[in-house]
Amino acid sequence: MHLKYTHILFFGLILLSSFTLIKQSETALDIKLLTAQTEFKVGSDIELKFSVSQNAKPLLYCSNSYGSTVIDPIIENNVVKYKIPPNINSKIGIVNWKLIKNNSTMLSGQFHLNPKQEVATMETYIGPPSIEAGGIDFTMLVVIPTDSLDNPLAENTLVTAKHQFLSTEDNEAIFTKNLISYKNIYSQKESGRMLVSSESLTVNSKEFTVTVFPAIPADFTVLAKRPHDYADGNQITIFETSIIKDKQGNIVIDGTYVNFFVTNEKGNVLKTSGTTINGTAIAKMIHPDYETKWTIKAYVEGMAESNTIAIDYKKVIHDFEVDFSKNNRAITIGPLQSFMKQMIPDGLQVKLLVYKNDKLIEALSKTTIDGYVLFNLKSDLFKNDKYNIVIKTAGIEKKYNSKALW
Amino acid sequence: MVSINRNITRVILILSYIIIIALIIYGISALYSYLNTGADRSAMLHTEIKKIDQYLPKVIWKPLNNDGRPMDPETLKAIENDYLDAWFVKHVAYKTNALDGIKDYYTDNARLNLYNFVELNTASNTSIASTTLEHHPVLEFFSEDGQLAVITDKDVIEYKQIFKNKKLALESTEKSTYKIVLLLEDGFWRIRHIVKVNTQDYKTETKAVVATNLNIKGINYYPQASPWDMFGDSFSKDIIAKDFKIIKEAGLNTIRVFVQYEDFGKAKVNMQKLEKLKQTLDIAKVNKLKVVVTLFDFYGDYSVLDWTLNRHHAETIINALKTHDAIIAWDIKNEPNLDFESRGKNNVIAWLDNMIDLVKSIDDQRPVTIGWSNTESAIILKDKVDFVSFHFYDAIDTLEASIKTLKKEITQKPIVMGEFGLSSYNGLWNPFGNSDKDQANYHKKAQEIIANNDLQFMSWTLYDFKNVPKEVVGRLPWRKNAQKQFGFINLIGGKKPAFKYISN
Repeated sequence: MHLKYTHILFFGLILLSSFTLIKQSETALDIKLLTAQTEFKVGSDIELKFSVSQNAKPLLYCSNSYGSTVIDPIIENNVVKYKIPPNINSKIGIVNWKLIKNNSTMLSGQFHLNPKQEVATMETYIGPPSIEAGGIDFTMLVVIPTDSLDNPLAENTLVTAKHQFLSTEDNEAIFTKNLISYKNIYSQKESGRMLVSSESLTVNSKEFTVTVFPAIPADFTVLAKRPHDYADGNQITIFETSIIKDKQGNIVIDGTYVNFFVTNEKGNVLKTSGTTINGTAIAKMIHPDYETKWTIKAYVEGMAESNTIAIDYKKVIHDFEVDFSKNNRAITIGPLQSFMKQMIPDGLQVKLLVYKNDKLIEALSKTTIDGYVLFNLKSDLFKNDKYNIVIKTAGIEKKYNSKALW
Repeated sequence: MVSINRNITRVILILSYIIIIALIIYGISALYSYLNTGADRSAMLHTEIKKIDQYLPKVIWKPLNNDGRPMDPETLKAIENDYLDAWFVKHVAYKTNALDGIKDYYTDNARLNLYNFVELNTASNTSIASTTLEHHPVLEFFSEDGQLAVITDKDVIEYKQIFKNKKLALESTEKSTYKIVLLLEDGFWRIRHIVKVNTQDYKTETKAVVATNLNIKGINYYPQASPWDMFGDSFSKDIIAKDFKIIKEAGLNTIRVFVQYEDFGKAKVNMQKLEKLKQTLDIAKVNKLKVVVTLFDFYGDYSVLDWTLNRHHAETIINALKTHDAIIAWDIKNEPNLDFESRGKNNVIAWLDNMIDLVKSIDDQRPVTIGWSNTESAIILKDKVDFVSFHFYDAIDTLEASIKTLKKEITQKPIVMGEFGLSSYNGLWNPFGNSDKDQANYHKKAQEIIANNDLQFMSWTLYDFKNVPKEVVGRLPWRKNAQKQFGFINLIGGKKPAFKYISN
């Protein structure tokens, strides 16, 4: 029985000693620590008191999270006091001290400064500031609640992370760990603005905004609008996309760049582009001046594409007259008439090619004015001789062989 | 008569004319070439990146397993660099009580804490020379936007010298754990919060190595053609092999070589020189010679902030060589007591003490020693070294008495006379110097004393040297010339009379 008590006492002592934070390694017997407290609240006045038998004036070395210093003693009777300066007692963490005399440690120990459970500022970091709709992308809210002395709060302090998006408002409890607390906030299907804030110990942070952008566009359709279907080289065909949306049905952001590729019957590719407003992008292209078929397809580069559409342009000029005069040197082409017999609008291109013995010697190009084009073959350029003359316009070609100029 | 005089005048005139012209041309050309030196074309654009190694404590990251965004090695390196720089500027600030550089590595709020300490310490005339020797950081958290990181730096070994009124008040080595929040601001990872969560005094446990059966009979070695530049361009394996053969045949079993701190590239060890040192060890092994490697020679800055660089240097060299059989012992530093006056005795001893710990932590198989320059200093750190060594250049008659005194203090550990010798120079600068015969007598006597006192020895040195660099003994010709003739073999390769007494 007696043995049992001894055992309990023995183990009890071991248990107790493992809980005592303060370690005293005495090297001189005449100095004893009188301050029993080893846990302090940060910011409180701390005085370490020692009893000394002799009239000794040891210095106190003291070190906390940010630095170290040496404190001079205040002596009263046989008690030496050390007032811990504010830059040590205002920072949480462990403080170790050593009583020094003649370059050696007489006594050493440590005490703990615990955080105040009050919040002065909610140090909040949120990022990225914009995310993508769809429920996969997220932003991260990091909150470091700090007290009035700029110390992070204790581990496992409750922080409420709040956010509002459209009709949902969410509160979630998170806890500080490793000085910070954090939460990932995921996007929903819709795009829009998300408002985020946090609260700890009844102190609220300010409001933060995260933009939820639509995700990348999904495939869309394209259509072409035109005043008529004649290849008059004058009117304008408008290509327009459907409202481009992401996978979730959010209209893509304004300014999304859309490229329109037009392939004609010859296989040439024409390109135009536009940017979206309210999801629709518009681009324009002038009508061809000859009969052809256009195949149109639009792309948001690397992300989405449209269907392919094809449109036909009808011939407007079926034939034209050519009149040679002034020694065959003045060539009048016209009237060039459009689909209602009206004079073709100014600006239709007419080409005149002059060959000598199947060798092209001159290619002249002019545009129509009031439905006519006049070419003058000057005598100093074209010596008196016979030439083959070819006239091309609106996809029609006329040949005059061995035309004599004189 | 007249014509001879005239001719003399002519000759003098022409000669002086030529000399003046030559001097003017020389002057102009010197000026011209001076103006053409300077900027190198390749330096015009400042494209080369200059990074100076100023702080290299041992940093061992725990494997990454952090919350938040996965970490990439580049960012981790950036964090490590700035984090260590933050420690460095803090050390500098507390040493000098100035605020330079703190702004770059601490955020607006965090830097106030440092400013307060600087203010407090300035007022109380306290300064703290400190450094950290080891860091074991764990990345706890990295934010999704890559702007915030939390690390726990475990078991940071901090060494501090606390000065009060310019006098050393305390030396303290602590092992602490910190939690640190860093923010990426203006391209710098800046410290936002530091919390010390754990601290305790730190003492390295080093294992003593038994050095009782060393039996060193040796010689300090430099090649004859390139003394104090053994591992430079004139390094030749053949010459070393030939010399080692001579040493072995003379009945010796050990050589002592030197790693010169700056010559070996300081913190960034020159791998070519290290390779040459390795080859030297290989040759020693072939010749059945053991080698005492002196880790620091020509190093004189013991300041606490320089420690991490020295340690990095030592670590690189020991790690590269520790598996080599030829090495019998590490000599930490050549004659450190000569720096007591200029660098502070405390500082030098603290440096040696910590360096021994480091060397033993890397290689716990080989004994360590310090090459003290006299017997009086040889008792310093006697409990730390595995055998005691000292150098002796005083009158041979006093040797026996000095050893007797030393032996009173050193009872357990072997004693090695790491350098001793006599110059046989008696030329223009010292006509009454010692002759070859005196040198022979000196060594004869030295060997007798060695035998009587059960000493081990390494004499200075195998060869007479043609040139001695000014860094060794300065520029004074009587010292320089004396230093040239300590050898057992003279300049033309002949064995001096002392060679007979090279070993016992």
